Amino acid sequence: MNKAIINYITDELLNETLEDNLEVDDDLLGGGILDSMGMMKLILFIEKEFGVKVPPEDMIIENFMTVSHITTYLEKKIKLD
Amino acid sequence: MIEENNIKNFELTQSQLAIYMGQLLNPEAPLYNMAHTFEIPLSIDIEAFQKAFQQVINESDALRTLFFQKNNIPYQSVHSNLKYQSEIIDFSTINDRQVVENWISDRSRVVFDLTKNIFDSVLIKIADSKYLWYLNIHHLVTDATTSTILYKSTLENYFSILKGDKISFSLPPYSNYLAFEKEQLFINQNNEAKQYWEEKTKSLSKLPELYGKRTTALTTKSERVSITLDSRRSQKIKEIAARQDIRSFTPNLTLFNIFSTLLFTYLYRISGQKQLAIGVPAQNRPSKGFKRTPGLFIEIFPLVSSIVDDDSFLTVLNRTKIDTNNYLRYAQPGLVTREINKSFNTILNFINAKFEDFEGIPAKSKWIHPNHCDPAHQLRCHVYDFDDSGEIMVYFDLNESVFNSEMRTNAPEHFLKIIDAFINDVNQPIASVDIATDEEKESLLVDTKNDILDYSIISDFESQVAKNPETIAIRFKKQKFTYSEINNKANQLTNYLVKLGVRKGDKVALHLERSTNYITSVLGTLKLGATFVPISSEQPKERVQYILEDSNCKALISNTKLSSKLVSKKIDIINLDKSTEYIENQSITYKSQVSEIDAIAYIIYTSGSTGKPKGVMISNASLANYINWSKGYYTHKDSYIFPLCTSIGFDLTITSTFLPLVTGGELIIYTESSNGPDISILQVIEDNLVNSIKLTPSHLALIEGSDMSKSILKLMIVGGEDFKTSLANSIQNSVGDNLRIFNEYGPTEATVGCIVSMYNSNLHIGTSVPIGMPIKNMSVYVLDSYHNLVPRGVIGELYLGGSGLAKGYIQNTKLSNERFLVNPFQQNAKMYRTGDLVRFNDSGELEYLGRVDEQVKLNGFRIELADIEANLNQHPKINNVAVVLMDSEKKEESKEVNNCKECGLPSSYPNIDFDDNNVCHLCNSFKGYKEKTDKYFKTEEDLIQLLTSKKDANRKYDCLSLLSGGKDSTYVLARLIDMGLNVLTFTLDNGYISDQAKANITRITEKLGVDHIYGETPHMNKIFVDSLHRHKNVCNGCFKTIYTLSTKVALENNIPFVVTGLSRGQFFETRLSEELFWDEDVNETTIDDTILEARKLYHQEEDAVKNLLDTSMFALDSTFDKLQYVDFYRYSDVSLTEMLVFLKEKAGWVRPTDTGRSTNCLINQAGIHVHKKERGYSNYSFPYSWDVRLGHKNRDEALEEINEYIDEDEVHRMLDEIGYNKSDLDNNKKQLIGFYTSKEKIPSVDLKLHLAKQLPEYMLPSKYKHLKEMPLTKNGKIDKNALRALSDIQLESDVVYVAPTNEIEELVEGIWKEVLQMDQIGIHDNFISLGGHSLAAIRVTARINSELQTNFALNKIFELPTIQEYAVYIESQLMELLQQ
Repeated sequence: MNKAIINYITDELLNETLEDNLEVDDDLLGGGILDSMGMMKLILFIEKEFGVKVPPEDMIIENFMTVSHITTYLEKKIKLD
Repeated sequence: MIEENNIKNFELTQSQLAIYMGQLLNPEAPLYNMAHTFEIPLSIDIEAFQKAFQQVINESDALRTLFFQKNNIPYQSVHSNLKYQSEIIDFSTINDRQVVENWISDRSRVVFDLTKNIFDSVLIKIADSKYLWYLNIHHLVTDATTSTILYKSTLENYFSILKGDKISFSLPPYSNYLAFEKEQLFINQNNEAKQYWEEKTKSLSKLPELYGKRTTALTTKSERVSITLDSRRSQKIKEIAARQDIRSFTPNLTLFNIFSTLLFTYLYRISGQKQLAIGVPAQNRPSKGFKRTPGLFIEIFPLVSSIVDDDSFLTVLNRTKIDTNNYLRYAQPGLVTREINKSFNTILNFINAKFEDFEGIPAKSKWIHPNHCDPAHQLRCHVYDFDDSGEIMVYFDLNESVFNSEMRTNAPEHFLKIIDAFINDVNQPIASVDIATDEEKESLLVDTKNDILDYSIISDFESQVAKNPETIAIRFKKQKFTYSEINNKANQLTNYLVKLGVRKGDKVALHLERSTNYITSVLGTLKLGATFVPISSEQPKERVQYILEDSNCKALISNTKLSSKLVSKKIDIINLDKSTEYIENQSITYKSQVSEIDAIAYIIYTSGSTGKPKGVMISNASLANYINWSKGYYTHKDSYIFPLCTSIGFDLTITSTFLPLVTGGELIIYTESSNGPDISILQVIEDNLVNSIKLTPSHLALIEGSDMSKSILKLMIVGGEDFKTSLANSIQNSVGDNLRIFNEYGPTEATVGCIVSMYNSNLHIGTSVPIGMPIKNMSVYVLDSYHNLVPRGVIGELYLGGSGLAKGYIQNTKLSNERFLVNPFQQNAKMYRTGDLVRFNDSGELEYLGRVDEQVKLNGFRIELADIEANLNQHPKINNVAVVLMDSEKKEESKEVNNCKECGLPSSYPNIDFDDNNVCHLCNSFKGYKEKTDKYFKTEEDLIQLLTSKKDANRKYDCLSLLSGGKDSTYVLARLIDMGLNVLTFTLDNGYISDQAKANITRITEKLGVDHIYGETPHMNKIFVDSLHRHKNVCNGCFKTIYTLSTKVALENNIPFVVTGLSRGQFFETRLSEELFWDEDVNETTIDDTILEARKLYHQEEDAVKNLLDTSMFALDSTFDKLQYVDFYRYSDVSLTEMLVFLKEKAGWVRPTDTGRSTNCLINQAGIHVHKKERGYSNYSFPYSWDVRLGHKNRDEALEEINEYIDEDEVHRMLDEIGYNKSDLDNNKKQLIGFYTSKEKIPSVDLKLHLAKQLPEYMLPSKYKHLKEMPLTKNGKIDKNALRALSDIQLESDVVYVAPTNEIEELVEGIWKEVLQMDQIGIHDNFISLGGHSLAAIRVTARINSELQTNFALNKIFELPTIQEYAVYIESQLMELLQQ
């Protein structure tokens, strides 16, 4: 899960290449890696890839700050479904 | 400038199209110029700069693009080469920066000729080592991101050139995006995103009126004003943005959400509207490549908010966050439609793009506003920090038609107040923010010093008695009374009252007709220092009884007739019929009492929301204030002669009661008639004895239209209701300029009138005459729900203060305290809460905008009826309106259905008659003329002859064949091909053709090798809805669309014939009628001529097709010369089996299985469902019965098809989809009904189309009812209860039913009733409104002609659409015949 997300971000969303590889705990939003449009594209990717629906209420920093936040959120979400 | 070179043409993107159209509408305005200046603190090498910018042009196809039109379609042409030299200007010798600014400002207003150039670049030297680069680009090829790309690239190139580096940069071409958008449009055709935006815009459609401005003709001129957000505020906002409960994904997104919230709050506060949309440009650069491409990418999508009562900033923000997330998800390229563009008039332009610092040069950019802007964007709010300075820049672009210069100064202050309130406390209710500036408040509170007059107006009367004792004071019937006579009578009554024990401060009820006795009773009571309580004669007994008790009256003055049924223990009843003798024995002198300042002069009862009337107590001082003011204000040269002609229980009548008598004038009393409505007003006008009058607008409407050219009226005071300018204007015109008309506003609680305006036809051009400005010693306050003064223009509730305020409600302290509040603007004073909505207009007059509480709920929506009324009133033909919410039960008759034994027509078909053998009357009468109809039908040989008769080398096609994909039309096409004809095939894609039917069409046209085109229109859904309303089916609208579009195609291609596939049964539904075969010698030319005439009329009928499609060609007779409509089955008598065999062999036709029925159109069943619900039988019953009668179907087949299963869920889904209001179909429904008065009935669809321009669908009345007159309450206001009590049947028929008055009218009425299948028709009913279409016109005309042996033309009935008019015409024609 982590890997798929990291790959998508690196291949599709980054404007410029990062100095280091993207880590699961890198701050995607605060660190300026993704802008809000990029985050929305990532969410659309996640929905398609993992078959979940992210309601607009769930689109908060607490769920999407880092790749590991995202996977935690997704695991919870998938379990609930 | 552009070299001839390799040119590629492309269509425009959705955004480009919108901008292009906007520019086309305003060709002279630079409304889309995007100009920037960049300060470059260097001594620039001009040659290197030119080279650097040329490189950028070479890499940006957007800058090499020009625009042109071909066949009215705009295209963009991308040129491969463009050599460009920026202009160089030297301002370094002028030491005045303002000169430079002015030059830039002028230059930014150049209007680009889009076929020649699209941008303008100038390098301006302002000092030895300081330049300004001015770059102005038409919005068609740029956006904010583009500006940053171009700036960055040019500077990068420039420094590379200076350093001698090789330039190695490239930018992706915009044409990539053109291709991408096209592809997206295809992919997105029906996806979730598209649906999301459709749903969103459906919930909107009414634009907020900014500062109450209802302006339609807008200038493009707009002023940019800055809202200074100092660093403290910027810092504070950023702090709040960082809070966990506030923040969104990124700081920028959070800031965007905050500014959206602030703008929603602002819009809500200045418009009062709760359902709001803001247009937000989406960057729309979905891939890495596009992020670096110059060109126009942005697309504007709406962000929507529904404000609720008690919203705080935080609750609005939380909802906005969610909506923004949806916005980001669904704002996809190419999805913006015209509907979406029309859903907002405010833009929030939150710009992320930044100009980067470069080579140590700090970016210092300035965005130049060309002082023009798209007029649809009344307000644009820009928020940006282009140069990353940390300070947020906020600008408003304000349209100058909406915002006058004062508002352009104040609007930014109001927004700033909202920002400050947000910074101060995000949890505060947004309704509570005090937005008016101190200067505004000061000017709003000017003139609020109120003096109290300490006297009783009885002294004014008595001084007139002393001055003019022998002058006539009162005329009543044939009697005249002088001032001294009246005074004596009043004194006698006072003395009598004293004898009975009535004292100063007691209450005396006056329950009388309008009469001299009434006036002397009023005067007598006041002389005593007592309070009079007027109760009009038509009040029901219970109510009188209640008032007597509630007011605690000491005495009642009445007469035998009115008092006989009243029971009273405590009250002395003075029956003037019996007591006259006693009274006349009293002394004629009395010394009037001096009353205290607060003593009550009168108590008037007004209706209360509880169902019991409430008594308003008016002091002598208040009465004196009003009368004293009106004496001075209304004064005219002659003394007043007023009629007393309105109800004494209505405080409006106070004016007529006192004003003449305190000024030495004359009062002419018109008593009410003993039965029936009080229409004394008509007598007043006829007698023409008065020069002054006081009345309500509804009364006035009664006399509108009467001849008033000789009227001696000089003063007209109108009050009590909203006063329409149309009415004022019509009265002014009919009486002339000598008449001054005043609109006087005032609740009973503020003594008769407290706000007034003099009608001025030049100034008052809105829907209603403004109520004006406060009278002397009265103050007005327009407040929001938190009692803050609202800025000028903004709608608020009217509060009144001053010496005219009532002392409250008698015996009702609770209600008094609710309505009479402590006045925060004056010490020791009260203010009265009117419940009326008002605003100040630009001329400083108050406008009345309806009631706070006339709000209804329908399907969950809160609706202000006044809002609908105001809009309906703007229809030019309407005089007066009332909208009510009705509860009505629709009773569906579930009687058993019986079908004709021969044709299967059901007994639910209107006016059907069965004989003893269960055969319908249509079958029986057909037997009588069947032979004659044979003459109408012909052979295939005749058809070939006809279709080849206009063969011409210049024609590519012999005929246009209408193909629906069904068996009948496919057979037509295949036969035509078989006949060796050159055919063009036409299909209307109405959006609901089944997939299999479409596959059939493709297969057939391919197999037959015939040219085929699909016609379509974006208005199809509206046409369906209109057809459902008019005909209760979808087919009629669809057919008419097919005729309209195919005719166009035929004309364009020079095709002489359009061939239809209508079945013979359908001929009798749409073209033929029994009447055409009545003639002994049936002449097919006559029939054809009649049908052609009917067709012409058919295309002139006002419906959605006529209004939404181009039907101009049908107005030309030449169209019908060039083009003939041919029904194939008139010439072919093929049987079903033969047909199916032929189709299988020749055409490859397959019966579709995906429509669930024998049709190829999916929406068909929705039409059938509605028709069954509304009319009780299927719309196919009638044509199928004819198919059976003519032998093309058997009865069982027909009945089987008619009774096919209907998938109701699917029907409801489709009805939703096309926007048909299903609640129309539900039983027990609540519906809005619009009642209106006008010279003549207006087609409902016209009214609907008129309103739909202003209001959302849910606010549109479902019915419109034309009334001759509005029913009025006793007080002369529109009686909405009476309107609500009308039954469904009364609604459907004309309220003022006028039966035929002579033999000819009776004859016509009989024929109409038969043809239109109605039970009752009045002689003023309109043929078209009753559903009379061209076929009905044929039938009616034929019947009349046969009955009278005349030869009237078919179109006469449309020229003279009422029985009465037509009968007059018949009479004149018959007279002429007789004379010959």
